[in-house]
Parts: sequence; structure tokens; C-alpha cells
Amino acid sequence: MKNFRFAVLAGAMGLAGLTTAAAAEDVTIGLATAQTGGLAYADQPSLAGFKMAVDEINVAGGLAGKYKIVLDIKDTRTDTAATVQAAQELVAEGVKVMITPCDADPSIAAGQISQPAQIPTLTFCGTTPTITEAVGDYMFGTYPADNGQAALLADYAAKKGYKNIYILKSPDSAYTLRLPEYFEEVFKKKGGTIEGEGTYTMGQQDFAAEVTKIKALNPQPDAIMTAAYEPDFPAFLQQLRGAGVTAPIIGSDGIDSPTITGLGAIANGIVHTTAGSPVEGSKLAAFYDKFKEKTGAAPETVYVATGYEIPYILDAAVRAAGSVDGPALRDALANLKDVEVLTGKVTYAGTSRMPIRDITIVEIEDGKRKPILTAMPDPADVPKP
Amino acid sequence: MDVVLQQIVNAISLGGIYALLALGLAVVFSIVSLVNFAHGELMTVAGYGMFFAAAVSLPFPFAVGIAVLFAIIAALLTERFAFRPMRKADATGLLLTSFAVSAILRVIFQNGISARPKPVPLPSGFAGVIDIGFLHIGIVPLLSIVMTALSLAALILFLNRTTLGKAMRAAAEDFQVLRLMGIKANRVIAVAFAVSGALAGVAAVLWIAQRGSVDPLMGFVPVLKAFVAAVIGGLGSLTGAVAGGFALGILEVLFQAFLPDAALPFRDAFVLGFVILILIWRPDGLIPAPVARRS
Repeated sequence: MKNFRFAVLAGAMGLAGLTTAAAAEDVTIGLATAQTGGLAYADQPSLAGFKMAVDEINVAGGLAGKYKIVLDIKDTRTDTAATVQAAQELVAEGVKVMITPCDADPSIAAGQISQPAQIPTLTFCGTTPTITEAVGDYMFGTYPADNGQAALLADYAAKKGYKNIYILKSPDSAYTLRLPEYFEEVFKKKGGTIEGEGTYTMGQQDFAAEVTKIKALNPQPDAIMTAAYEPDFPAFLQQLRGAGVTAPIIGSDGIDSPTITGLGAIANGIVHTTAGSPVEGSKLAAFYDKFKEKTGAAPETVYVATGYEIPYILDAAVRAAGSVDGPALRDALANLKDVEVLTGKVTYAGTSRMPIRDITIVEIEDGKRKPILTAMPDPADVPKP
Repeated sequence: MDVVLQQIVNAISLGGIYALLALGLAVVFSIVSLVNFAHGELMTVAGYGMFFAAAVSLPFPFAVGIAVLFAIIAALLTERFAFRPMRKADATGLLLTSFAVSAILRVIFQNGISARPKPVPLPSGFAGVIDIGFLHIGIVPLLSIVMTALSLAALILFLNRTTLGKAMRAAAEDFQVLRLMGIKANRVIAVAFAVSGALAGVAAVLWIAQRGSVDPLMGFVPVLKAFVAAVIGGLGSLTGAVAGGFALGILEVLFQAFLPDAALPFRDAFVLGFVILILIWRPDGLIPAPVARRS
């Protein structure tokens, strides 16, 4: 009797195996991203957008109309060791594509696992341009890179007529350190000068000493440039304006969140980059409406949109490659040109797999973001990573 | 001269917040020998209290009241459901419990409220400046100094003039004797947590007044600062906690203001290096508790 049961079980398992084999057109995408911990603020919204796009693509038949997407989602808890473990598990499972967190360190760590397995790997919104070179030819960025953002901002500042700028940076992360440095490089090339430099500790949020120094500068800088984001940026801004410094602020996409417009009048005049601005009538605005309709809440950040774009970028690559085979997919991704997404066009061809894409500069005015310009940074301006 | 005075104001204001935070840790530690690393999450709870109050457009003073109330309730709940069952555990067990409470609360915030920061709008006057002679004092630093002073005064009155306050001081010296006097242990401990929650609530208001938002991981940095301050002052000593808080605030502002630019990124290393020197000089802290205890 026992043997009989065992035989039935074995038979059933064999059948199950057969059905899996029959659905060979399924493609598994593994996500090793931070759904809890310090990166959840970026990875949670990215995943929400990503899932929505995957559902849509699957309804239409899957990637390139024939590869149904199956997701394997693992939480890395913003822990690099846990990210590596998740990446190892996903590679062992044989995923065809891997998605990594919104930050350089865990993305590089995970990429080093997927690279030898020839699995194309994309970071959610890691912006450090060195991510792809640090890993290898299977690693791709998806979000506007730091050096591109900085180049566009420096160009804007020079055209605006700013001559001397104060820079505030933090050595605690590549983003808060390198982005202002890229800005400095381009701004100097365009004839500007850097009047001073301050540093801060992330999470410290007491800027009184730093602000007092800026206040004492003579002459006052034409503008202050920083890649600080929350909670440091609002604290800095409040204390800066509290001390009576009126120099305008140039910031980066880290402050593209409702918290900043929620600060009220002191946020007026802040100029910063973003991956996209939902101007009325734009594709992005339509997506925001659709997202709100589906989930009941408006997106809190553009990360929802950039997460949503990734499966469509993959779709374009799979169509070009005609398969989901690692090397073919990598080549197709690396040669993508002018893929239309929500926020503009994305191009990988001719880059080091950190895409060139449209970036928008916005200005905050009375709690709203007013787009100033949307453009691709001039490749001649963009500093080497 | 101008800049020096200005930095002194900055140091007092930051030191005041650290003092409140360190006091919150010390009040609990003096009675149950627990370094409550979930203290930062009490601040986060207070922050969400402010956020919800603002969402239903309550005026700011009410929002402050709600913030403090939320923190007190959260402190009492963690005491009742996490720390009371663990009371017989040793110091390490209690410490781990507090880490667990902290981790659980953070995940609840991230998945129950939002992983993204929530804005806490502040009255528009908060970005203003008051000129006193050649000193420009921001409203927020001024508010921190005033609120710190008021909170300290209220705590001193409570500890010296009320029966419960006296019971708490006695409990810090000898808990067993206090119980023999017929005072209920549960009540004294609950009051200690409530006081600690109130202090966390006030500190949270001041902390948020600087940053204008609340996020799930907000409590991490302040609780570390509080711990360092409490250790400098002498763990378990209330006056020590205040002294330690001000010492840490002054050290941080001084190093930030007067270190050469090249050394600025290492400011925290200088501050903590100095803290080590203080501890070599006074291993039990600046003003040790009468019954010296080390965690």
C-alpha cells in the first residue's frame, strides 16, 4: 500500500514536471531588491510599477508576445550580504533576467553573481555610472546616471548666468559625493567658479554649523548645489533659510518627492532634476492616472514610473533578440536605441550600458513642480565616471 | 566673534535635543537596567502622530500634544507587551528585546504606513529668524532651547515634588527596598516608561521641526546619539544624561565649525575619539549614577 502511494506520488510529480516543461515559453525574472530597510523608499515604489507593467505584458501574451513572465521576488532587507544570497538563489533557480536594488553597492554585489552566469541584470534606479563597469557586460543601468544629471544641471546653471556656486556634499554615499563633483567639473569647464565646499554626515540633520559658515561667506554664492536628499535636504533647507541665506538651490533627483513640496514657501525656487515630470497631457500623467485608478493611491514618486518602464525596455530587447537566451538578450539590450518609454526615450547603443535618456529639470513654485526643460545631456559635457 | 556666539547657540540647541533623548534612555535604565534601543521608534510614532494631526488639519500646538501622547502610549504598550514579560531576563536579554521591538516597529511602519517619508508641514514662521543684537537666532533652535528648558524643569518638579517621582528616584537607588515599602513595582516601571515616552515625544517634535518629514527609519540616528550621550554622562544618571547630551552637542558643533575642510568628513571620528578620551578620564561617565552600573 505504502509503495503504491509512493508510486502515485512519483507519477504525479512526473506529470507536474511535464507540465512545467510544456510551459517552456515562461521566462522567470528574479528580483533581489530591498522591500524593507533603508532602500525600501526607492525599491518598494519601483517594484509596484514593475509588477504593473509585467501584468500588462502578460495579458498581451508576454515578452515579445510569447514569453510569459514569471516573477520571483526576494527581499534583501537592504543588506548587501542578503542581496548576494538572494542573487545566488535566483541564479541557481535559473532566472533569465535579474533586477537589483536602487543603489550601487548591492547592485554591484549581486551583479558579480549574475555576470558569470550570463544573466542580464538591471538595477532598479542605481544612478552611479560606475555600476556597469564594476560588474561587466551583463550589467545594465535603467535610470538617468549621476554624471548625466550633473552635466545637464551645470549647463543650466551656466546658462542662467551663475558665476560662483557653493557645493555641499557628503562622502557617505557615491550619490551625495560624486554627483556634486561631476557638477563641479562641468561647471568649471563652462567658466564658473566654486566658491566653497561643505560636507555633512548623512542622517545627521543638524546643519547649523555648516549654515553659519555659508552665512559668513562674502560675497554670497549665486547658488548652492547639493545632492543631499531626505531627511538631510529638508533639514538643510530649513536651517539655511532660517539663518536668512537666500541663495537659490540646485538639487538632484533625490529630492523629487512630495515631502519637499510639502515644506511650503521655503521650497520655492528650488531647481532639481528628475527622471520625468507628469505634465498634463503627457504619457507620464496618463500613467499616474492609471496607477491611481488601479491602486487607489497616486504614485508618491517617479520611481513607480521608472520601475514600470523596465519590463517594456526588456520587451523591446526580447523582440530584437528573438529569444531570452542570456548572450543574445545582452547584445540586444546593449544595442537598443530610442526606446519610447513614459518619460521620453532610452538609448543604450554607444554607452557603457548606463543609458542616455531624457532628463527633466523642474522648478518648485507654490507646492508644484514646473518643468523648465527636458533634454538629453550633451555627451560632450558628460564627465567620465 | 559673531560666528563664535552663533555656533554657541547652535551647540546649546543641538545639545538640548540630545539631552532630552539621553534623559529618555536614562530614566528607564536607572530603574530596569534596560538600554531601550526602541526609544528612537517612539520618536517615529510621535512623528506619525504629527503627520496624522496635520492630515486632519489640526493646529500645530495640538499636533505637538498628539505627538507626545502617541509616544507615551507607544512607550506604555512596548513596556506592557514586550519588556514586562522579559523583566526577569538579564541585561543582554532585555537589550535584544529592545532591538526586536525596534525592528518590528520599523517593518510595521514601512509596510503599514509607507516606505517613503511623509511630510509634516510646519507653521510658516518656523523658517524665520529673530535678531538679538548681532545674533541671528533661528526660530527652530530657539524653540529647542526653550522646550528643552521647560521639559527639564517639568521633570525636576515631577521627580522632587510628587510621590511617584520620589518613588522613581528611590527605585533607581534600591528597587527591592522600595517594594518592601509597599510601592507597586509595575506602576513605578510603567511611569518610568511613560516619562521616557514623553521625553521622546518632545524630542521628536524638535527633531522633526528641523527636517519637516517623518520616515520609518527616522529613529535610528537619534537613539545612537542618545546612547553615546548617556554613556558620556554616566549610564543611569539623570543629571549625567543632561550633561552628556550637552557635551555631545557642543563637541559635534565645535568640530563641524572649526575642523579644517580636509578633515571634516571625519568629524564623527573626532567626536567619538574625544568621547573615548572622556571615558578614559572618567570611566563611569561625567556624573555617574549613585549606584554605578554599566550595561
